[in-house]
Amino acid sequence: MLQCIFLLSDSGEVMLEKQLTGHRVDRSICSWFWDQSLSQPDSFKVLPVIASPTHYLFHIVREGITFLACTQVEMPPLMGIEFLCRVADVLSDYLGGLNEDVIKDNFIIVYELLDEMIDNGFPLTTEPNILRDMIAPPSIVSKMLSVVTGNTSNVSDTLPGATSSSVPWRTTQLKHSNNDVYVNLIEEMDAIINSDGVLVKCEIFGVVEVNSHLSGIPDLTLSFANPSILNDVQFHPCVLFRPWESEKILSFVPPDGLFKLMSYRVKNLRNTPIYVKPQLSSESGTCRLSVMVGIRNDPGKAVDSLLVQFQLPRCVSSANLTANHGTVDILADKTCSWSIGRIPKDRAPQMSGTLVLEEGFEQLHVKPTFQVGFKIMGVALSGLKINKLDLKNLPTPVHKGFRAQTEGGKYEVRS
Amino acid sequence: MAPPAQSQRSPSPSQPSGKGEVSDLKMQLRQLAGSRAPGTDDSKRDLFKKVISYMTIGIDVSSVFSEMVMCSATSDIVLKKMCYLYVGNYAKYNPDLALLTINFLQRDCKDEDPMIRGLALRSLGSLRVPNLVEYLVGPLGAGLKDGNSYVRMVAAVGVLKLYHISVSTCLDADFPALLKHLMLNDPDSQVVANCLSALQEIWGVEASSSEEAAREREALISKPIIYYLLNRIKEFSEWAQCTVLELVSKYAPPDSNEIFDIMNLLEDRLQHANGAVVLATIKLFLQLTLSMTDVHQQVYERIKAPLLTLVSSGSPEQSYAVLSHLHLLVMRAPMLFASDYKHLYCQYNEPFYVKKLKLEMLTAVANESNTYEIVTELCEYAANVDIPIARESIRAVGKIALEQYDVNAIVDRLLQFLEMEKDYVTAETLVLVKDLLRKYPQWSHDCIAVIGNISSNNVQEPKAKAALIWMLGEYAQDMQDAPYALEGLIDDWEDETSPEVRLHLLTAVMKCFFRRPPETQKALGSALAAGLADMHQDVHDRALFYYRLLQHNISVANSVVNPPKQAVSVFADTQSSEIKDRIFDEFNSLSVVYQKPCYMFTDKEHQGPFAFSEELGNLAIGVDDQRVEANDEDLLLSTTRKEDSLSQQTQGALLVSLDHTEPAATHAQQTNSVIDDIFGLGLSSSPTPTPSPLLKLNAKAVLDPTTFQQKWRQLPVSTLQEGFLTSQGVAAMTTPDALVRHMQLHYIHCIASGGQAPNFKLFFFAQKADEPSNFLVECIINLSTSKAQIKIKVEDESASQAFAALFQAALSKFGMA
Repeated sequence: MLQCIFLLSDSGEVMLEKQLTGHRVDRSICSWFWDQSLSQPDSFKVLPVIASPTHYLFHIVREGITFLACTQVEMPPLMGIEFLCRVADVLSDYLGGLNEDVIKDNFIIVYELLDEMIDNGFPLTTEPNILRDMIAPPSIVSKMLSVVTGNTSNVSDTLPGATSSSVPWRTTQLKHSNNDVYVNLIEEMDAIINSDGVLVKCEIFGVVEVNSHLSGIPDLTLSFANPSILNDVQFHPCVLFRPWESEKILSFVPPDGLFKLMSYRVKNLRNTPIYVKPQLSSESGTCRLSVMVGIRNDPGKAVDSLLVQFQLPRCVSSANLTANHGTVDILADKTCSWSIGRIPKDRAPQMSGTLVLEEGFEQLHVKPTFQVGFKIMGVALSGLKINKLDLKNLPTPVHKGFRAQTEGGKYEVRS
Repeated sequence: MAPPAQSQRSPSPSQPSGKGEVSDLKMQLRQLAGSRAPGTDDSKRDLFKKVISYMTIGIDVSSVFSEMVMCSATSDIVLKKMCYLYVGNYAKYNPDLALLTINFLQRDCKDEDPMIRGLALRSLGSLRVPNLVEYLVGPLGAGLKDGNSYVRMVAAVGVLKLYHISVSTCLDADFPALLKHLMLNDPDSQVVANCLSALQEIWGVEASSSEEAAREREALISKPIIYYLLNRIKEFSEWAQCTVLELVSKYAPPDSNEIFDIMNLLEDRLQHANGAVVLATIKLFLQLTLSMTDVHQQVYERIKAPLLTLVSSGSPEQSYAVLSHLHLLVMRAPMLFASDYKHLYCQYNEPFYVKKLKLEMLTAVANESNTYEIVTELCEYAANVDIPIARESIRAVGKIALEQYDVNAIVDRLLQFLEMEKDYVTAETLVLVKDLLRKYPQWSHDCIAVIGNISSNNVQEPKAKAALIWMLGEYAQDMQDAPYALEGLIDDWEDETSPEVRLHLLTAVMKCFFRRPPETQKALGSALAAGLADMHQDVHDRALFYYRLLQHNISVANSVVNPPKQAVSVFADTQSSEIKDRIFDEFNSLSVVYQKPCYMFTDKEHQGPFAFSEELGNLAIGVDDQRVEANDEDLLLSTTRKEDSLSQQTQGALLVSLDHTEPAATHAQQTNSVIDDIFGLGLSSSPTPTPSPLLKLNAKAVLDPTTFQQKWRQLPVSTLQEGFLTSQGVAAMTTPDALVRHMQLHYIHCIASGGQAPNFKLFFFAQKADEPSNFLVECIINLSTSKAQIKIKVEDESASQAFAALFQAALSKFGMA
């Protein structure tokens, strides 16, 4: 049970404070926390769950905003963290992104949201659709309306129907003039290629996103051509478990708008679409580096937004790197980023050059790790295929759409 | 929002700093208060917003309280919300002014819009002014009966708020009973959930003083209520599901069919998108199957995939919380995760705390089949940019080597580390090589060849230097220049800051002297001279000791310094298995993240007034307090207790009385039994464990399992202690039956038993000879440690200590006959 939630800016200033119980938490805890995080070399390294002299603190950092929650009693840590993540998601959804200014400008809305999301330390509802019914987002449209009509309330007049309906994620009386539903497969590929060029680990983490604008209470079923490849799945609460258990069919009444229907994991993939081959050889204080990139297994669609990044080891004093395709940038924090974009058809992109080591270093002992980003539209590399989407309980014809894409997630190549 | 402004940070130029702005605001608010002109609401809104933004940045705006209240007569809901927020923040410190707000809040509680009714009720509860509770009772009562579920939901939490402001008002109005009714009958699941949370808290606190509340609290985990909640589980919000699952994990189903029913019902919760729900379900599954070994193992298999998905899917923060739990499970049953080692590989971008947990797990899951790949992976980290990680991974390689898998290849790897010529890598490796040699002296030949080439100038860290010196001394006969290397080190005696290194140097040069006397004599002389002049007491003493030893008899000195050594077989584990078990019992709590059981980091003060006792039967909190004091007295006598129990003592937490062993028994008895306890033997060494003359047991006691179950749930834990089995007892304990028959001779009857070597769990009962008063015992035996955890519940508290002693005595005689 949380006692207090603080929002801190990236300079440690308290932007917002929400006391939840009678046990008021003094905001001096924030300065304690901030000192603690400053004492760490990298603020990213502060443990998400720490104990202060008086409280146990949970925190998450999103876009430079720290969400800090305090408690004095034993509670499931994941519950605290998970809740803060939801708060961050909802706020970012409502305010169209997170930053110091947008929170300060809209702190009334933030208060209102927190008020509905948690009472006396018990999380209530974090379902965005229900919240949106209770508290209207500060959209430009509603601002315009308020100017025109003079009705300045951003709270809807009626109570959300869903709070009492049996389908808590959906309001009862929805009407859309155009009924449409889109299903997106969004996959991220995580891979580790070790210094011998061996693929030691490769797996895909995927999400089935649905964007639905349907009237009434529609009943949807989605099936896959090859559900057996899925290693583990997690569902939105709207998915019925039995049909999945018996026939691997997703049967659900969708929330309105965009939501994550399901997430899944496919492990032990044997192939990656591209190869990245770094080569380093050092000799008397300089190190020759070359990195080759190319298509290994043609995914059938263009590989886009290809980006290779790595951190120059601390003992490198200067670097001179050029590429035959794309641009190479070396940032102030010694991050070297080579953005390639789309792989050209006629030649394999290559980056090469020398790294000059600081005095006293003969050889480069610390080998950099190359992080690779890419994007392939139109393909789900796990091989997962949607078989069909059936809709019931709908009076009018519906437009259906499917899309797929794969991105590089934690894709790293060691040298 | 802390009203006193002292905690505010130095205001930036854009922030108002002084009183000027506040009094300006006051003026403007006053002007608007009576105005009914169109557009007033808009200007009010701007002003309110300003007031609240001041409040948010920490400026004290309590002086505009009365103006705010005057302006609160409005139909605009956002204005109302801002006003509620303001009032809720300052009412506690302005109780007189708060009275002004009661009026409009009460009026709003009767508004026709349920949203406003709910909000007003919530704010009314948040005023937290003790004088005003009487105004809260009416609206709360009405709120609980409101036609709209939103209002009922707010009212349920409101009751809890009222309880914390004024216990008597809340109980006098009979709100708990109303909540219970709502919980069992309300169609809205959120109302049910809020009632449940409120009741758990209220009865949890009340249970210590009122028997009725204690009964009610127990009733919450009775079959009908648990089933009622479980059947509706899918209607609850994800957060309420966590609450319900937590409650269910305290319920002990009487038979295995029920356990399977519950698990079948909840299996899909493992697929929930919310990690908190998944983890709560996992906890429940693990708890339910604790006594069913093979099913427990299947549960591990089942929960593996969801856990691994949670680890890789969420943000780093979520991933860390899940990893801590995965870490716990991996450490408990490493072999079950052996095939999933690839999931534990570190990614470049992961924060240190995540990598560290992963390294520990990788070390634990290593076995014959995967060692090669794991070690290959670990070696890659040794070249990592992140120095702490490089160190940790070298240590991990060493730990795996000590586990005896594929030592040959690993020794090669370690020796390659030495060739990397990075000082921290060399340092870590030296320490490891030393440990390896202590366990596997047969590798000395390979290692010495490489170690001999290392110049001590390149080793700076004391631990590494000490390791190197140890090896120089130990293998002086195999290393060509050992005496000269030592001599060089002794020449730099003055510059050596670490006493640990100097101590090792003394010993090494002694060892070396006995192996190669002519070459070392000079070095030994200067080392002893330097040692005798050393400022550090230990160094000085050791030098003096060696000096006198040499004077006394050279051959004795040799046998002291170079005794025949046995290879070390097992290195001591840092954390005791009891603590690990305790943490496991507290799965899905902070304990897991901190890797400490909760008594080590929570104390009573911080648990606050709404602390729940985790222990199921531990209702008698008042009694416990007395026992805590008794414990402290005992502590003075028994200083040999283990360190962790010491810390328990000092923490003085609720749990102390639960795991404290002897006190209940010893307190009543003569001091000689206390002395036995000092030796940590329980009562096992008492010559003739005299069953207290007060207590005679019924030889033909009967109790049917259902009654046992019921009583076990109702009764508080009277004694919790640790007993010890004799070695004969351990040998005789091939099946639980042997112990069952033995205890029967002492008129203690077994009602249920289970488990497989080395862990057994038995339930016993006994009855007084002259009256039908029962004693119930849970006894968990671990043969590998020859310890028994004994939990005793009694109907007649006065006889509890006598019975505890009797039980101990009977147990300790097991196997002797």
